[in-house]
Amino acid sequence: MSASAVISLESVSKRYGTRTVIHDLSFEVAKGEIVGFLGPNGAGKTTTMRMIAGFTAATAGRVMVAGRDMAIDNVEAAGLIGYLPERPPLYDTLDVSAYLRFVAKAKAIPRASRRREIERVASACHLEAVLDDEIFKLSKGYRQRLGLAQALLGDPQVLLLDEPTAGLDPGQIHETREVIRSIGAEHAVLLSTHILAEVTLICRRVAIINHGRLLAIDSPSGLQRAVEETNQVALQVTAEAAPLREALLAVDGVRSVDIRADSGLAGVLTVECHVDAHEGVEAAIARAVAGRWDLHRLERRQPTLENVFLRYVREAA
Amino acid sequence: MSGTAAVYQKEMATYFRSPIAYYVVAVFLLGSGYFFLYNIFLGGETAMAGTFQNMGILLLTLAPVISMRLLAAEYNAGTAELLLTLPLAPWQIVLGKFLGAVTILLLIIAGTLVDLIPLYLFGTPESTTILAGYIGFLLLGMACLAVGQLFSTLTHNQIVAALLSAAVLLGFWFVGHLQTFQASPGVRSLVAYLSFSLHFTDFIQGLVRSEGVVFYLVIAAISLTLSAGYLQWRR
Repeated sequence: MSASAVISLESVSKRYGTRTVIHDLSFEVAKGEIVGFLGPNGAGKTTTMRMIAGFTAATAGRVMVAGRDMAIDNVEAAGLIGYLPERPPLYDTLDVSAYLRFVAKAKAIPRASRRREIERVASACHLEAVLDDEIFKLSKGYRQRLGLAQALLGDPQVLLLDEPTAGLDPGQIHETREVIRSIGAEHAVLLSTHILAEVTLICRRVAIINHGRLLAIDSPSGLQRAVEETNQVALQVTAEAAPLREALLAVDGVRSVDIRADSGLAGVLTVECHVDAHEGVEAAIARAVAGRWDLHRLERRQPTLENVFLRYVREAA
Repeated sequence: MSGTAAVYQKEMATYFRSPIAYYVVAVFLLGSGYFFLYNIFLGGETAMAGTFQNMGILLLTLAPVISMRLLAAEYNAGTAELLLTLPLAPWQIVLGKFLGAVTILLLIIAGTLVDLIPLYLFGTPESTTILAGYIGFLLLGMACLAVGQLFSTLTHNQIVAALLSAAVLLGFWFVGHLQTFQASPGVRSLVAYLSFSLHFTDFIQGLVRSEGVVFYLVIAAISLTLSAGYLQWRR
């Protein structure tokens, strides 16, 4: 564990019965760093967050937060951690200010500064308008931001945010990212998400996880490159498979071609081409195909998380 | 201690913003009020003994309704993930919640004090006997709530928690009756000792015996300790 690491996972595994959901996971987050934790749903992000927060214990390996072993000192360390779970943990029957008062008191924030602290987080998360409202009346966006406000109470060294922008509209997403970015300068932040853009926008490093295994730790620019390398062009063409493949592979920028017969229409092929990122590839493909065959559809696909993962998986192999 | 107080205050705030506490208190007071009127005016009783007996059985069925939500509802709403990651020790969570439930019990007791008005107006009841009955009722209630809280800690399902605790509490209530079928004196005294109702009968008759006080408190302490232990272990 390096000296600056505030969160550190050392060969952490988690088993439920015979099912292993986290395999030998190791990474660190330092002070002043926002680390993105990127993976598809079910990759093990939430389980990992829960282990760092002390909600569940690792089956093997060690989770350290600010030098404290979460297997032993979890209650003591909890005072240093702000945690926004995937589902904001709200008491529906309380009103917003009573809820924040409860969390502030449980976090042992001194009575003298409790009120000021609640005002601070309420303003950072734009909750002033709903402080007297009962929580069950709040919109999804407000619920998410109240969950974030609760985590920020007491200005903890470590922030664990499990999909903090889920359920927010674009304006709120932008505001929430700004809040997180401003916190990131002084704290250690681990932010899980399955949205590629989110990590490339605010994180310094990205831990990429799939099926409970760490695939890579990369910079956002490295991830951006990986994204660009997974560009796809999809076509529907009436053609013979073999000559079509030949013609497509001859186009500059096409890396590989995957051809399947379209189940709905006789003679129509569905084609997926992995292409380079540069401009004009789809135009070149269109020219190569349209001259000889009937081209029904051509579409540039946005890179999906799954494709990006496949690339990291291939790289790891 | 402030952690326990935080949990306690949160509990009280949630009790009175949901219908369940009002419901339980209202049902209890209606039920005990009925038994009181029946015993005094129809039964001709001039003490609280019969009413206390009925209140005990009523408590057995209503305590699980108070306790069923204590942790099961937190698991269900996802708030357990907050509660168990705040800087609170498991015993603080368990104790804060237990004290909240005991407060509802005290409200019930306060409500039944109305019954004493006609008793003192029209008769001369023995105050010490009544006081002993209330002490017994409070202790019995604490034991019932702690057992109920344990089951609420063990399951996500409030209904399952309520049913299991009601079944166990009824078992404790009636276990004394097994005496009749036991030849061995050791087993006889054991089932008598474990009986919620036999200890309660002592209190109703005005006997505050240390044996009964210790019995209820130990049952409560064991249940609460197991709850806290489970919260620690389940991680």
